[in-house]
Amino acid sequence: MPSAILTARERITKFTNCRLVRGTELVEQDLWVSSGSGKIVRSQEVFYGENIVPDTTIDLGGRIISPGMIDVQLNGAYGFNFSQLPEPGMSYEKSLRQVNKSLVQTGVTSYLPTVTSEQKEVYHHVLPFLGPSKGQRVAEDGAESLGAHVEGPFLNPTKNGIHKVENLITAGDFSDLEDCYGASNINPGEDPLDGSLLPPRIKMITAAPELGSMSKLIPSLTSRGIIFSMGHTEASYEDASLAVSRGCTMITHLFNAMRPLHHRNPGVFGVLGLAESQPRPSFGIIADGIHLHPTSVKIAFNAHPDGFVLVTDAMHLVGLPDGTYDWTNGERITKIGARLVLEADSSKIAGSSIALIGCVNNFLAWSGASIPQALKAVTATPAGMLGLAGVKGSLDNDADADLCIFSEEKGEHGELRLVVDQVWKFGTKVFDRLQ
Amino acid sequence: MRLIIREDPAAASAYIAKYIIDRIKTFNPTAEHPFVLGLPTGSSPVKIYQILVEKYKASEISFEHVVTFNMDEYIGIPREHPESYHTFMYKHFFSHVNVHPKNIHILNGNAPDLEAECVAYEAAIKAHGGIDLFLGGIGPDGHIAFNEPGSSLASRTRVKTLAYDTILANSRFFGNDLDKVPKMALTVGVQTVLEAREVVIIITGAHKALALQKCIEGGVNHMWTLSSLQLHPHPMIVVDEDATLELQVKTVKYFKSIEAVAASQGFEQILPSSARTGPRKTGHVEPIQTDKHSPSIQSPQPLTSTLLAAPATEYPVRSHTPELVPDRMGSRISAF
Repeated sequence: MPSAILTARERITKFTNCRLVRGTELVEQDLWVSSGSGKIVRSQEVFYGENIVPDTTIDLGGRIISPGMIDVQLNGAYGFNFSQLPEPGMSYEKSLRQVNKSLVQTGVTSYLPTVTSEQKEVYHHVLPFLGPSKGQRVAEDGAESLGAHVEGPFLNPTKNGIHKVENLITAGDFSDLEDCYGASNINPGEDPLDGSLLPPRIKMITAAPELGSMSKLIPSLTSRGIIFSMGHTEASYEDASLAVSRGCTMITHLFNAMRPLHHRNPGVFGVLGLAESQPRPSFGIIADGIHLHPTSVKIAFNAHPDGFVLVTDAMHLVGLPDGTYDWTNGERITKIGARLVLEADSSKIAGSSIALIGCVNNFLAWSGASIPQALKAVTATPAGMLGLAGVKGSLDNDADADLCIFSEEKGEHGELRLVVDQVWKFGTKVFDRLQ
Repeated sequence: MRLIIREDPAAASAYIAKYIIDRIKTFNPTAEHPFVLGLPTGSSPVKIYQILVEKYKASEISFEHVVTFNMDEYIGIPREHPESYHTFMYKHFFSHVNVHPKNIHILNGNAPDLEAECVAYEAAIKAHGGIDLFLGGIGPDGHIAFNEPGSSLASRTRVKTLAYDTILANSRFFGNDLDKVPKMALTVGVQTVLEAREVVIIITGAHKALALQKCIEGGVNHMWTLSSLQLHPHPMIVVDEDATLELQVKTVKYFKSIEAVAASQGFEQILPSSARTGPRKTGHVEPIQTDKHSPSIQSPQPLTSTLLAAPATEYPVRSHTPELVPDRMGSRISAF
């Protein structure tokens, strides 16, 4: 549907008396956004060139404007699991839309819906719904998928975490990937309207590079615009370095489900060291206070601040009360606060149930990082990793006007906390805490 | 000439900001009779803009019916270039206040026909009834706008080649790369400034003390273009103590005493009421007066256009500027 029909008259909103997150600085500057283009406006250009003045001016009283947050690993929320086939009579699409509308209120304006290791029927069914919402740009739809993240099933069975070992497989060549995920999900598609090329529905694949031919298949994935992320892996430092040299640009939940850092074989963590002429990948960190010790988070941040991405890895139970809930394949998960464990084996962490802003606040409290540094880990850094620098996770001119407005509060121990006051999607306000 | 001396640049800036606000309020501008304000760029006026913005945000002044004309702009750098005067004005003033962009006039340094741009600029000033108050700063060599030493005192808006010294000084804003520094600019002329009903200049800092001395104690001289202000009926120069370093003690004391005596008599050094207020009659258009008035205190007239009429032949494309008359051209324009 052409967006021109859907949008009302273009409205330009100017934010003033605010601090913008720009790189690792907070800059006092006005910001103009348009609900028509859904983008950040080149204010000086339209002011002089088209004599345009803002329709609305909002005085934020010194609060912080950040790009909308991006979660690159979210398994579900509000009781909806992206990896679960709908019960008969239920619509996957409807539930997904509801999740998007709720999710945006937490400040997450775009995300990678993440599917765990499943049978191929599940991928074939759910992935068509999880692709990037290209061209729609409707603020009221809420959080936007930037493409699916398939975490598995090409994972190492010894580092399966809570992924079902029965589902884990090994890839010999690219056709194995096409067979598993569905060729139409892993290859670029064609727009039925204008015949233009659409990006694949899958945006990121987490796999163990040491298995089968996976390492050799990395260039075939990156050439399709898919991010290769290593995780759930027994990779040695050498395996990991090879994967990086072949185009791996991300590490899925660093430290979790991989060999620990050993001084004689640094493993996956080793590639964050400055290696000879090798680029360093970004890496996801679950800062829920359960998956990782705060000190490990700090060490990872200091090893490579520009690759540091905070993720929730939250399960569909996030937002639900404590209790025991069904999970895929007949297993059950117990939720106690932010802690999720398998009912059968309470030593296995089953993802998290924390909101992304909670991770940001934890990181702020633990690390002594500045507010813009912490917010960069959920905005500019993930956007850059996804190849969306300047489109998402940015307050630069022409970037999508996805915004979070934060106020600062003192927590119970005197630590600084950010509170999501407002969320804007494509230049339109979609959440206001005070209303 | 009014010379106002204040302790430091902040106090001098505050004085000017307050003066401008008072002038606009007294003028009581409307959509039909806007207040026409000439504006400079540079480091000296930054603080003035800052105060004006503060006062706007505190709802003490509105710029809704203020029309602005800027002094100058570089040629050949994009309008959005960080060093362009468009950007300067946007950053320091226009983006923070309610001046409507259609009321803003800044010379277009990328115009296809620069000469036509200059002629149109002068015409726009005239169409708005002339400038009510031209705010300005000066360079250490006493230049006003880009009217560098040696500029004709009868000059109008035109293309100007920058002096090598200015290009060198500006290179710090362009990554110290001389090739990137604009070599030319569009600027209003000395005559354009002098035709404003009132001219207010800010001069601060010891490095401008010599320029101030030349302009106040010296004679009118094209090597110090600001000295032409001596020919204007209502100039005001606001300076800090440092800028007076080269002046004679007698001069400083004289101007300070004038201000003190005027203040003690409850008498500000103000303009005649006809220059201070906008036209009060609305809906009534007076016939265009063609006879010349001789200037008087009630009817201020820029003298220089008659004193320095001869060089105008240099610009055959432009007709001789008619004398300003006490009523506003703007009021006549609205009749058509």
